[in-house]
Amino acid sequence: MSNKGMKKQVKKEDRRDRISAILMLSPVVFLLLICSIYPFLWMFRYVCYDYNGFSATFTGARNFTRMISDTTFWSSVGHTFEYAFYKLVFIIPLALICAVLLNQKIKGTSVFRAIYFMPTVISSSISGMIFTFIFATQNGILNGILMALGMGAPVQWLTSPDHVMTAVTVLAVWGGFGNYMLYFITGMNVISEDVYEAAKIDGANGVQTFFKITLPMLSPILKVVLMLAITGAFKDYEAIMVLTQGGPGNRSMVMFLYIYNMIFGSGLTNMTQPQIGYGALLSVVAAIIVGLVTIAYQRIARRLDDVM
Amino acid sequence: MEKSRAVMSGKQKAIMAVIWVLMAFLAILTIFPVVYIILGSFKSNVELLVGGSNIFPSEWHPENYVQAWTGAKFATYTWNSVTISVCVMLISLFISTMAGYVFSRSHFPGKNLIYGIFVAFMFINVGSVSIRPLYELATALHLNESLLPIVLISVGTGQATYIFLSRGFVDSVPKELDEAAKIDGCTFFQTFIRIILPVLKPVMGTIALLSFRQGWNEYIMPLVFTMARDNLRPLTVGVNMLKATGGGAAAWNVMFAGASIAVVPMLIIYILFNKNFMSGSTAGAVKG
Repeated sequence: MSNKGMKKQVKKEDRRDRISAILMLSPVVFLLLICSIYPFLWMFRYVCYDYNGFSATFTGARNFTRMISDTTFWSSVGHTFEYAFYKLVFIIPLALICAVLLNQKIKGTSVFRAIYFMPTVISSSISGMIFTFIFATQNGILNGILMALGMGAPVQWLTSPDHVMTAVTVLAVWGGFGNYMLYFITGMNVISEDVYEAAKIDGANGVQTFFKITLPMLSPILKVVLMLAITGAFKDYEAIMVLTQGGPGNRSMVMFLYIYNMIFGSGLTNMTQPQIGYGALLSVVAAIIVGLVTIAYQRIARRLDDVM
Repeated sequence: MEKSRAVMSGKQKAIMAVIWVLMAFLAILTIFPVVYIILGSFKSNVELLVGGSNIFPSEWHPENYVQAWTGAKFATYTWNSVTISVCVMLISLFISTMAGYVFSRSHFPGKNLIYGIFVAFMFINVGSVSIRPLYELATALHLNESLLPIVLISVGTGQATYIFLSRGFVDSVPKELDEAAKIDGCTFFQTFIRIILPVLKPVMGTIALLSFRQGWNEYIMPLVFTMARDNLRPLTVGVNMLKATGGGAAAWNVMFAGASIAVVPMLIIYILFNKNFMSGSTAGAVKG
């Protein structure tokens, strides 16, 4: 075969490979277009409309002015921050402590690790439901145990505005700490044994080792985990939807649950009229809020870097 | 391990014992809700409605499961859950390994742009609003009479992580393998099937587990899609609907049995493959 003919042959093969590459990529690109890009663009289409699923009317800036004065929405934004704060304050230290302790040479660490991680394989809708049974005021097992231990009156975990955030936080911590623990453990495996050996020889105790070696060396991982935890906490609403439906009196209503109620009508059975246009506007705002929080966090993390 | 135990003093041993007890306590707390729901599913409805602090049933009532299975349609829900999760798993496995291979090995204009869009949409989260247009689209195409839209949307929302996992893995496979196959006359696609897929086995195991779990645990999207179609509901939706429609003094025993049916299969899979689950979850987060 002449040189020219061979080149042609290679070129033809290249072209054929390229076509098969594009064909092989097409299913994921198709699903990306349908499931991610199309809904994203669709959302903007109805921002200025009043749309109930059947008929849409253009209302100009009315959705926007409504949002400004919608106290339920802004309090749901507040609850989202409150929820994220409680979740992080408990889940990160707990996950970190578990990771450090499981890194010791104790018997049964792999069993403990598997148990702590177990809640993450359960659907948050089902765990939300399990916790409604546990937290039930009259016949829930938690009040049953507390009263057997001598508590006077049953606590209204889910029906009192004073306690509902406690219940929501307990569920969130239970469902997620194993996951963050695992990230920390993975991060710690990177820290070399030699460093710990050296610290031991220098006479450092467990607490000193943690603050002088583990924590500083873990700080890059800690930053990533915090990032994942923050964005994750802002997006949680499935479990809350099942556990409290945002109640009582919207006390546990978080941003994305409020938006769900706007777009699909609230409640599982008593459907209220969906207000999709307004919900779409709130979705844009919610996405911006999450984005701003992410940026703010990264700024703070960078600043902390300079100090440390 | 033996070495460090040898140098442990009595005081250290005591500290270790305290730590062990604390960890065991936390483990019991963690496992308690699941044990409670499974044991509770054998209690009579009266016992559940009275409450109290007893975890074990005073009388065992396995017929709760018969009631849930036949009376409350849990046979249908279970079948739907199995169908959804198996389909999500198979489709995810096939299309994401293929995409990972293409992203790793092929070069065509726009490849990096497409990859960038995948990355971007992992960070853009607009919540439930994205389900609405998909629901309307499925209705317009008359696809909402089947589980197909639920399966496809589940695959579509989860695929990015699996593509990253696959791409990362293919990147680590030496290119000489493909080139040898090419010299032997394999086409691009044949190289994937004969050379790359067999090497991808570990990452395929991870994707299989994660995508199965995703399909099994999906809630809000199937809830919307089956709002008016009882016979298409998966377990997560079915059991929560039962709770919502039953009202106050509803059949707690059936709900407990239903929740157990929804949880136990996943737990068995987890017990069998817990190491793979854990390594897969961190790999997904780190790569993603």
